[in-house]
Amino acid sequence: MVAHPELAAMVLADGRLPVGGHTQSSGLEPALLGGLAEGDAPALLRTRLRTVVRVEAGTAVVARHHVLAGLPLGDVQAAWAARTPSEVSRAASVAVGRGQRRLALRLWPGSAAGSALEELPAPARPVAVGAMAAAAGLDPAGTARLVAYDDAQTLSADATIWLLDAAPDLEEAVAAVAHLTEPRAIPAPAAPLLEQWQHHHPTHPRRLFSA
Amino acid sequence: MPDAGPSPTRALRLGVAGPVGTGKSSLIGMLCRELGDTLELGVVTNDIYTDEDARMLRAAGVLDPARIRAVETGACPHTAIRDDVSANLLAVEDLEADFAPLDLVLVESGGDNLTATFSPALVDAQVFVLDVAGGGDVVRKGGPGISRADLLVVNKTDLAPHVGVDAGLMARQGREARDGRPVIALSRTDRASVTALTSWVLGLLEEHRTGVHSPVDPGPMAPHSHADGTSHTHGGTGAHEH
Repeated sequence: MVAHPELAAMVLADGRLPVGGHTQSSGLEPALLGGLAEGDAPALLRTRLRTVVRVEAGTAVVARHHVLAGLPLGDVQAAWAARTPSEVSRAASVAVGRGQRRLALRLWPGSAAGSALEELPAPARPVAVGAMAAAAGLDPAGTARLVAYDDAQTLSADATIWLLDAAPDLEEAVAAVAHLTEPRAIPAPAAPLLEQWQHHHPTHPRRLFSA
Repeated sequence: MPDAGPSPTRALRLGVAGPVGTGKSSLIGMLCRELGDTLELGVVTNDIYTDEDARMLRAAGVLDPARIRAVETGACPHTAIRDDVSANLLAVEDLEADFAPLDLVLVESGGDNLTATFSPALVDAQVFVLDVAGGGDVVRKGGPGISRADLLVVNKTDLAPHVGVDAGLMARQGREARDGRPVIALSRTDRASVTALTSWVLGLLEEHRTGVHSPVDPGPMAPHSHADGTSHTHGGTGAHEH
């Protein structure tokens, strides 16, 4: 399937993409149940753009490069895992990554992205998204922006204004990772409180989302 | 996304839908007990944020616990069986790969309302389960599952005298609403009704294997509202976020 890269980016960024993403809230529910005040949600968004999103966007950009360069994705996945310490967070990412992989193999069978994903049965979400970005013709900055937007739009579904307010932070995150090609160069900023909220989330008795 | 058509080696995927508490898990437990010795079975359960149904079935001891997988559907259980079936399809495919060859995979929807039905992209056929305790008027109220599921089960008929419902009338109204599609008035204490259910499943499996059976979409969901006061419809092809 060949589509204009801008159209492909819109499709990949659409919340309705059938990859199982509707079960996750970009860490908003874990944060609120963990004690974040409702009014602090924009701050959570900015914190994610400086931390989690840089890891994810950097991973996607490097995964895209590896697919286009004919390199395997295993190193990229390992670099992402090393920067995502909670096995709960990793499992939540892989749950959607497998959905992304399934869709990618249907959309672009026989492509370089398809071959790379065939060898990785349980990719992390950003690894799968990076491979899809390669197949869809997105450039590195477009790939990073896709990941950052996906995180931010999930978080601020009811408050688009937060997303627009966060646009400068979002572009900073894009600029920080768009030039990367090496797994070891993926940024590794930590957000321990967010990680802890997410880590305890699966055992919370009154949750609606898995992440 | 529609999957490739049924192959002789692929298991029959049978969905079980219906409102909360009508006996979906019990019906699946019954099928495992009745058919587990003769067929290779797998089960996928759906719950909003627990694996309660999977644990209940594993504890019932009717099937190897490893053959029972739980999918967490998040806040919108009908999305996972209709609009975006990815998580359920992955669970079904994992089961089919881990225990190949399976004959039958049962997919239990999270308990939802009268309008939730499975996409044919996920299951080959579906059972819609009501119970007499939910009230005799439910069949008349109707919905895509009641009208057009491959089988309508009116469950717990043994309770009918205790809740003032005419189970026979309910089953008859079901047949009227379904243009001749099958209805089974079921009770676990009524052996003949249990046999009717297993015979229906075995007949369907035979049709699936011989390529006679074609999956049918019972139809899109009706407009519905959520607890936050919003209402919406679901488009024919689109998934949605809640």
